[in-house]
Amino acid sequence: MSQRTRILIAGLIVVALVGVVLGVELLRRQAFTDELEPGSIPIYVRGKLIAAFLPTDLEQLTEVSFVDAEEGKTQQGWMLRDVLLLYLTPDALLNSDITVGSSSRGKTITLSWAEVDAVENMVMFDLAGRGTLKLVSKIPGFDIRDAWVQDVDRIDVER
Amino acid sequence: MKKHYFSTFELILLTLFSALVVVAKVALRFPVQVPGHSGLFWMAIVIVGAGIVPKLGTASLIGLSSGILAAFLGLGDFGALNTWLSYTMVGVGVELSLWLLQNPENVLVAALAGALGHTGKFLVKWVMGILTGAPLGFVALGLVWSLLNYLLWGALGGALGALTLRALRKAGFFAYLAEKR
Repeated sequence: MSQRTRILIAGLIVVALVGVVLGVELLRRQAFTDELEPGSIPIYVRGKLIAAFLPTDLEQLTEVSFVDAEEGKTQQGWMLRDVLLLYLTPDALLNSDITVGSSSRGKTITLSWAEVDAVENMVMFDLAGRGTLKLVSKIPGFDIRDAWVQDVDRIDVER
Repeated sequence: MKKHYFSTFELILLTLFSALVVVAKVALRFPVQVPGHSGLFWMAIVIVGAGIVPKLGTASLIGLSSGILAAFLGLGDFGALNTWLSYTMVGVGVELSLWLLQNPENVLVAALAGALGHTGKFLVKWVMGILTGAPLGFVALGLVWSLLNYLLWGALGGALGALTLRALRKAGFFAYLAEKR
């Protein structure tokens, strides 16, 4: 087999891999039967669905970033407080506990509104490489990867 | 005496390359906020390793051992298994690509091998995400953007690896290695 043929085969494999990934993702989106938009993150207040946000909803928010102490990587995205304030008033959030969870990872974190509201805590969503949201922060104890919540798919507000 | 497939000298070299992958991943910071940009140095190191020890299994061994190191160091956002599989698949991907394409000193060949190897890492994250029931991408085209970046940075890293191999050959490094073996 000539080198040219080998390179052509490798090129075709690359194209096939891209096609498979795109095709499967398209099928997953089409198979999504929930009443929510595919990929959207629902916000529940005392168990009642009040909103589900998408990237277009976050366009009006300012992006923020910080460099994490653990690996020195830049975490960039949107503050959780800003996302919540898009749909709820500060009064409605006062003395509330905010639980952010990932059903696929079986992980949740509950923070008080005061912690979420404090800008220096940098409680924010970073966009992970595979396009899902990851809740990160600088709060001691919740400033490492093991504690962060990857693949976020639900936010609960409880008083 | 039984002759081993890899000599002790080659195994030491491969272990050093594995450690270099992890050290580079931890220490090097490229100021580009796009997914997969670490593929630039990662793929370069794996391609150079595969070029210096031109035997079947070299790249896989670098991937496997760097994966074990990375998993024990707690690297990655998605847990030890994901980290180990990702690093291993990078090696296996480069291995299979070079098995098909052969000469890693050819820039185009190395770029393709780098792109395919780096895509192996992306595929692990993606498949693990599906298997664990991860939600659909928040950003609809986020996955495509991510995949394209993995391909691009992997290809650039592979090309860099090929250029490094050429420079090493020009400097007489391969003649030196032949004596050591």
